[in-house]
Amino acid sequence: MSEWLVDAVEADLDRFHLGPVDLALRPGQAVAVLGSSGAGKTTLLRTLAGFLPVRRGRILRDGTDISDWMPEERSLGYVPQGLGLFPQRTVFGNVRYPMELRGRHDADARTEELLDRFRLAALKHRRPARLSAGEQQRVAIARALAAEPELVVWDEPWQGLDVEARHELGLVLKDLREAERVPVVVVTHDPALAFSLADSFVVLDHGRVRFSGGPTDLLEHPSDAFVARFVGYENVYDRATLEAHRDRPFPAWLLAEAGPGGIAVGNPEVVPTTGVPSTWEGMVRSVRPSPDGLSVELAVDDLLVTARLPRPWPVTLPTVGERLRFNMARTAVRRLGEDGEEPR
Amino acid sequence: MSVGGGSSVRRRWRTGPYWLALQVALSGSLLLLLILPIVALFTYAPVSRIVAAAENAYVREAIGLTLYASGIAVLVTALLAIPLGYLLARRRFFGRSVVESLVALPVAVPHLMVGLGIFFLVLPGSPLYSFTNAIGFPVYDTIWGVVLVMAVVSAPYTVLASQLSFEAVDTRVIEAARSLGAGGATTFITVTFPIALRGIIAGLLLTWARAVSEIGGILILAYTIYPGGPYNGPVTNTISVYIYDLFQAGDLVDAAAVSSLFLLIAFALFLAVRIGERSGWLPWRRGDLTP
Repeated sequence: MSEWLVDAVEADLDRFHLGPVDLALRPGQAVAVLGSSGAGKTTLLRTLAGFLPVRRGRILRDGTDISDWMPEERSLGYVPQGLGLFPQRTVFGNVRYPMELRGRHDADARTEELLDRFRLAALKHRRPARLSAGEQQRVAIARALAAEPELVVWDEPWQGLDVEARHELGLVLKDLREAERVPVVVVTHDPALAFSLADSFVVLDHGRVRFSGGPTDLLEHPSDAFVARFVGYENVYDRATLEAHRDRPFPAWLLAEAGPGGIAVGNPEVVPTTGVPSTWEGMVRSVRPSPDGLSVELAVDDLLVTARLPRPWPVTLPTVGERLRFNMARTAVRRLGEDGEEPR
Repeated sequence: MSVGGGSSVRRRWRTGPYWLALQVALSGSLLLLLILPIVALFTYAPVSRIVAAAENAYVREAIGLTLYASGIAVLVTALLAIPLGYLLARRRFFGRSVVESLVALPVAVPHLMVGLGIFFLVLPGSPLYSFTNAIGFPVYDTIWGVVLVMAVVSAPYTVLASQLSFEAVDTRVIEAARSLGAGGATTFITVTFPIALRGIIAGLLLTWARAVSEIGGILILAYTIYPGGPYNGPVTNTISVYIYDLFQAGDLVDAAAVSSLFLLIAFALFLAVRIGERSGWLPWRRGDLTP
């Protein structure tokens, strides 16, 4: 399997500018490209796949510059959003297609093999429109593998799947990178799914790289408020808000810790009584149950804090308007850089 | 969309009685407008006269020539109109809107004008007149004239249908094919064209229907058709002109009989295509191409 290097690549689509983006992919590695809608994730993938010209920078495959190569020459399995299955072909015909192009004499046997591996044998005469979302997903990955790609690039793999199909797809992708050593780039706007697969992360926002690094780094040192919110920090405060409340004890404590982009705090907990140090009082705004406990939204003046009330749940759930105390551990406080600041 | 292979679930919308009545009344009125003239034709012509028309050598020649010429017109159209449709669907170029409007023009004007236009283009003595005669495609009163008029007035349907069909092919499917190793031309042949084919065939059917029913341009350019080019039969007319002649001569019963005969033929052809589409003779099934 090849080694891929994306070196300061920039691309333009109409008025949208992407980059510079850097990526390094060794065999068996998986990168997740994260970002909200319109962040440039699909643009990045289409640039890698060769459908948009590289304006600046280079794409290297084993040291060879392939930035100008045609999409069909790149040995890159691009699975577009919606999968791009051939509607007029059967499952069998879809998976066989790449081998037909290469004139392989064992195309039929190889196709049967792939269909067996992805549990599609019983569906081989169906057309894609008559498959479930999970089945379509398996056809897409089988077809991509039939072309023996050196890199799989997948736009929103989990889209439209139910919980079970998501889990199964996760296993397929893991197998792809661990057993076959095919490097994988996936795009998603769901950080939880990205964490389940990838070992390295790129967060895009408005076409710019806001973060690039491993999972620990991403969670422990989110570079700015956007990234912190994106990976699931619920308590993110910018500097201006904190300064506006500097005369109150709670925000003042946070302000002392805040970086230029403000602050993010992980895991505040609702505590039972008074007398515990570093605790504050807030008024319950809403309560949301989850397997890990209750998620309670509290208002301290006009600042909102989301705190956890671990299981077992109390006999009577907190009610709106009730006053509760919560603590914030100094170790859970993350200092944030300026929004849009160049990543460290 | 039906779910599962074969086990399609029929769904009915629950609607109020007045809304349903309105729908039935309006679509029923249109169906009546379409059906009543046909009924009138068939009731005016006794069955015996329709049978007699079917056995009449002149009628057979006229119908044969019409089908023959329209067949050639459809082939010519397929060859020229599908590429134009593709071009309009996939490429952005200067003057594209002008081209699109030009293509629609023959449909929008009385076809006598189209006939007149071609008439002036190949007026005896003009360079094109000598040229078409020299290369063996004389236009006046030959099958080539009929084919020419038919192609001009009916090609727009295929251009439009193939443009829409090509536009409807999902770019991501095309990109997936490219990424799997297919070059531009291969992708067109193996992916884009097969997916668009159903819509293109629908366009060709319309083109054929429009070609068969043409009269305006033919009246001017090829009222009487003499043998020549691919047609070696006796002197004849297209079926439209033939019926027009009967009507002008006051032979109303025969006009109705020949019309009824031709209606039956056209109806049978359309029905065959629809049934073929349902039963899988054709290389696609309903719903397959719309995921």
